[in-house]
Amino acid sequence: MNKKYIFGGIIVTIFLLLTAYLFTQSNIKYETDFTHVIEKQKTVKAAGFWVKDKNYVVDNANKTFTFFMKDEKGNEMKVVYAGPIPNNFQSAQSLVVTGKYHDGCFRAKDILTKCPSKYEQEKAKVQKTEF
Amino acid sequence: MKAFALFKKDFKSEMRTRYAVNALAMFIVVTISVIFFSIGQERINESLTAGLFWVVIFFSAMSGLSRAFVSEEERGTNLTLQLIAGPSTVFTGKLLFNLILVFAMNIVIVVLYSLIFDAFVIKNMVLFVTSFILGNVGLAVSSTIIAAIISKAGAKGTLYPVLSFPILLPLILTSVQLTIFSIDGTKFEEAIVELMIVLSYDVIMIAVSYMLFDFIWKD
Repeated sequence: MNKKYIFGGIIVTIFLLLTAYLFTQSNIKYETDFTHVIEKQKTVKAAGFWVKDKNYVVDNANKTFTFFMKDEKGNEMKVVYAGPIPNNFQSAQSLVVTGKYHDGCFRAKDILTKCPSKYEQEKAKVQKTEF
Repeated sequence: MKAFALFKKDFKSEMRTRYAVNALAMFIVVTISVIFFSIGQERINESLTAGLFWVVIFFSAMSGLSRAFVSEEERGTNLTLQLIAGPSTVFTGKLLFNLILVFAMNIVIVVLYSLIFDAFVIKNMVLFVTSFILGNVGLAVSSTIIAAIISKAGAKGTLYPVLSFPILLPLILTSVQLTIFSIDGTKFEEAIVELMIVLSYDVIMIAVSYMLFDFIWKD
């Protein structure tokens, strides 16, 4: 009787630890180096900047939105997003795209734009008027 | 093979009353038709499809699977069961019965779903079948042990989904993710982490159930 509980307890602890470890692995990882993104071909969150010299293309027939992104080291890649242009795309400081690199371009499922905070600028104005 | 005899007894009494089967069938038909009428011809994305798929599975399971122990309690036959078989034998018999029910229910849901919804096209069949089997085993084990716990309580109908939700949550979240992967056509190797989570959930639930069932049953 007692053996059953010891044995069961050991199994449960081992697998609980395994699950805890696996949960840390399952999240989609951030990637700031595009060479890794292109090599791995896994679903990642790629962080980088929009290349403003190469303009974006909106294809209304296929409902896609194509643009170029570069990372901090200057590696560029083409990003295809199935959807409309996100708000504040032009004014974004940096972008985070979630998706997978496939057939020569990055297929994004989601685009996050990081915009300059309007509250910080207001703060600066207030300080100016005070002095 | 007392466990199998118990399973046969449950199966026969289910065939006479058809209580669990009717509850499951009604729930599946109602939920799927509500989803079908509200979506219409609109093409929904894969994460929504997978989420709705598991909503149907979760609530159908909640409506029918508690019968395993509640019926014994209602008919007052649990004391006789305690006389003729040990706790783990009783649990094995009930688990077999619930496994059959869960598999039958989910196969019906999958068939109806793929007939009705255009978006529910599975690209990676191997991954889907593996995650389907692992997920069903986890669902059956958890629902059996929770049914045993709530059979002694007063408000059985409400207590069952309330108690099941936190216990089934890790399984359902991972299974939703796996269903999205199989609709997406993700490779098997990339989904191995999620599959391992479901597998270890199954092992934990089986081990815990067999350890704790003695205490629930003797009471």
